[in-house]
Amino acid sequence: MTGTTSVLGQRFVRRDGPEKVTGEARYTADLAFTGLLHAKFVYAGRAHARIVAIDTTEAARMPGVHAVLTQADAPLVRYGMFVKDRTLFAHEVVRFEAEIVAAVAADTPERAAAAAAAVRVEYEDLPAVLDVDAALSPAAPVLHPDWLDYRTQDGVLRAPNDCGHMTSVKGDVDAGFAEAELQLTETYCSDMAHAVPIEPHAVVAQWQGEKVTIWTTSQVPFPARAGVAETLQIPQSNVRIVVPHLGGGFGGKCDFHFEAHVALLARATRRPVRLVFSRREEFLATDKVRHAARIELTTGVKRDGTITARRARLLLDSGAYCGDALFATEIGLMMVAGPYRVPNLYAEVHTVYTNRTPAGSVRAPGGPQTCWAVEQHTDELARLVGLDPLEFRRRNLVRAGDTGQTGQRFVSSSAQRCLDRAAELAGWPGTDLAEGEALGVAVGWWFSLSVPSGAYLKLNPDGTGTIITGAQENGSGSVMGLALLAAEELGMRPEAFSILYQDTDAGPFDIGSAGSQTTFNNGRAVMEAAREVREKLLALAAERLEIHQRDLELVDGSVRVKGAPTRSIPLAEIAAGAQLIGSGSGTPPPLPEHDLTGCGGRLGYSAFAAPSFFCHIARVRVDRETGVVSVPEVVAVHEFGRVLNPLGAQGQVEGGVIQSVGMALLEGSQYDGGHQLNPGLLGYKLVTAPDAPTVTVDFLDDAVDQGGPHGAKAVGEPPVVGTPAAIGNAIAAATGTRVRALPMNAERVWTALHRPSAGAVTAGGEA
Amino acid sequence: MRYPLNVTVNGLRASADVEPHRSLLSVLREEIGLTGPKEGCDDSECGACMVLLDGEPVNACSYLALQTDGRAVTTVEGVAPADGLHPIQRELLAAGGVQCGFCTPGIVMSAKALLDRNPDCDEDDVRHALAGNLCRCTGYQKIIAAVLRAARQPEHGPADRP
Ligand code: FES
Ligand code: FES
Repeated sequence: MTGTTSVLGQRFVRRDGPEKVTGEARYTADLAFTGLLHAKFVYAGRAHARIVAIDTTEAARMPGVHAVLTQADAPLVRYGMFVKDRTLFAHEVVRFEAEIVAAVAADTPERAAAAAAAVRVEYEDLPAVLDVDAALSPAAPVLHPDWLDYRTQDGVLRAPNDCGHMTSVKGDVDAGFAEAELQLTETYCSDMAHAVPIEPHAVVAQWQGEKVTIWTTSQVPFPARAGVAETLQIPQSNVRIVVPHLGGGFGGKCDFHFEAHVALLARATRRPVRLVFSRREEFLATDKVRHAARIELTTGVKRDGTITARRARLLLDSGAYCGDALFATEIGLMMVAGPYRVPNLYAEVHTVYTNRTPAGSVRAPGGPQTCWAVEQHTDELARLVGLDPLEFRRRNLVRAGDTGQTGQRFVSSSAQRCLDRAAELAGWPGTDLAEGEALGVAVGWWFSLSVPSGAYLKLNPDGTGTIITGAQENGSGSVMGLALLAAEELGMRPEAFSILYQDTDAGPFDIGSAGSQTTFNNGRAVMEAAREVREKLLALAAERLEIHQRDLELVDGSVRVKGAPTRSIPLAEIAAGAQLIGSGSGTPPPLPEHDLTGCGGRLGYSAFAAPSFFCHIARVRVDRETGVVSVPEVVAVHEFGRVLNPLGAQGQVEGGVIQSVGMALLEGSQYDGGHQLNPGLLGYKLVTAPDAPTVTVDFLDDAVDQGGPHGAKAVGEPPVVGTPAAIGNAIAAATGTRVRALPMNAERVWTALHRPSAGAVTAGGEA
Repeated sequence: MRYPLNVTVNGLRASADVEPHRSLLSVLREEIGLTGPKEGCDDSECGACMVLLDGEPVNACSYLALQTDGRAVTTVEGVAPADGLHPIQRELLAAGGVQCGFCTPGIVMSAKALLDRNPDCDEDDVRHALAGNLCRCTGYQKIIAAVLRAARQPEHGPADRP
């Protein structure tokens, strides 16, 4: 800390707030362009088919139509983050209902839509594969017959209809089961869910000469730039991605999406072209859904509740393409032991192709589903041995010195502390519960993503500062919070900084708003840039004040002599006469030591850097007549290391909890054949203000600094991981029956209550 | 076929020739140049397009522009006094009730309609007034708190009726 008072941990108003409350903030679809054309995609409308012929002649002749493009107009490049299995437009085959077959640009949205409807495509339907079990059966049609020819990232193990499988092994699982006195096998399934940012996708592309500028609703401008360059086969320096204000993402706007399609239309017409998705397209065509999952767990325990072994098998439905799905499978694999001591483990996970909307990294990919299944299973294990759910967890939670499923050694006992604090806040076991009410608990862990990042910082002649960063603001406030870190280094106010962000021609490379990584990585970069400026400032001031640098401090926008506050120079005075520029990249902290003996496949999250822990406790009320569940309160205790921006972190937890109440009770895509049945906000309901529970949030510190700026850890994703699990356990406690499918909607709760064996929760038994 | 539309928007008279199928939202955004109201669904489901029509909150996406002929529309751009922010806007900022901000214009309008009608509102009133506004970022907690705090302040911004 530089000044007399730290700005960290204080309330501050985000810089982009005022323009957002007045309506001045411009989002992608708000931008105006001279000569703008409107894009519309032609979708397959079927799950799996061979394209026999595409006829665009009639569409191209319609009034106001400037271009109709298909894969024949694009370079034949297969792309994909992990497996290069996909082309911009369908090439010979369509593999899900909203696969893009053609794209139209016309002078009005109505004319673009009419022309899109006039594109004639002849198909020969192929058998569709619609669930993970069917896809893995040896008799299943292979959705990517050329899969062996696809290029992949290093280490990706594949099979027909499986675009990435991995195993995680610890100890000797057979010996562990031999040691067990009881064992329990269960299967849990979750439906496909969606990110549902309130802003739908939008892209505008405009060429000038060889260079295209693309304004887009991306969470990941640099990967989007790489995708455009790769698929159009042009240099990255000819692609500039700008993200105006972004109206939320939650992972649904990660990866490279539709930027290249719009750029192609703009190149063909030499006019700016805009694409804006409808809400229906947002559900069907945004190939970035939360994986439907099937999770099989078998665990051995001793009668005193000690876990001795676990076998786990996860099948994640990747839909038609791999996309960035391996994030979800790799993370899901790392969640199967939970934050528990599981000395002997064998776990495998498969990323399965089906003819459904492709899945990807929705907020905490692989997390909520796996945590939900593992934590339902944990409560059932507690029941099996006759222990209170809290007591069972206390006996098995990892503490400082224990090792995780890949041998990572934990340095704190935060899981335990979160559990104790949440129990206290929630009044466990629930003394004032009404009829039909119960509490449910869930514990979990998450990682901080340690990756390179970069930023510049300059001081302006009036003593204010500007941060130029590659980081992307998705709404969470993490980029806005960078001003806190710069201010702390330079003894300035956070409000004194403007921020230039999400423009690939301005800031250094950053992976984007993904993996909750902005503060953790870009924060370090900004601090390093600020330190460079600080050194320059101090050197100049030392000269002017004729004193040694070490006797100076930066306080309240000035450099002053320690102990002699009247001897000072305002920063503006120094900045007016000098170039005060800094740059930083920060060194990503290494992963904790771990051991992958016996593991297989690409393990991108083989250990969790700066792991954080949480405990959520939900109070639910179940209406036994209707199966409707309401949630009056959720307690969410998180250990995030040091919380730099408490207001922002609380907002992340509250928002994450409410989002995942939706996942728990309401949100899931229903399918009929290859078609989503509820691609709209009437059929796919989100939690609204009247239904939103009260969220009680508390933060615990970590005694050990694990490499983030000032000891901070990732905040954005963990809040969505635990709530569905806590709600599920509360439903089981309230009803005496367990719902084994997510969302646990009224129909499923009612069915569980009325099945003949209701009350007999578990089929567990002697090992 | 286009028809003339004369409407008062944020206290100023606006006119445009519009086709009968055009929504109020598309005319506000494309013809009148006010992009504060957002399109999140075009189907009365999200509330991002909320404006006041003669003081009543309506989803502009689902209101035909020509139905507003001769009437008064207030959008988020018309809420703040010239020299600052409306209490709802100020409290949303202070409470941390704004994240991505895409829902915010609609939230401000629903909240304003409530406070104009019922400044004595309680938490339940606020929750119900916001029932048609989806926010995916904040979980509503800080928004509800902000609206309640704004309600306790004497001024509720400039008159928006002509
Ligand atoms: S855009 Fe009008 S309610 Fe969603
Ligand atoms: S702040 Fe993002 S949707 Fe409400």
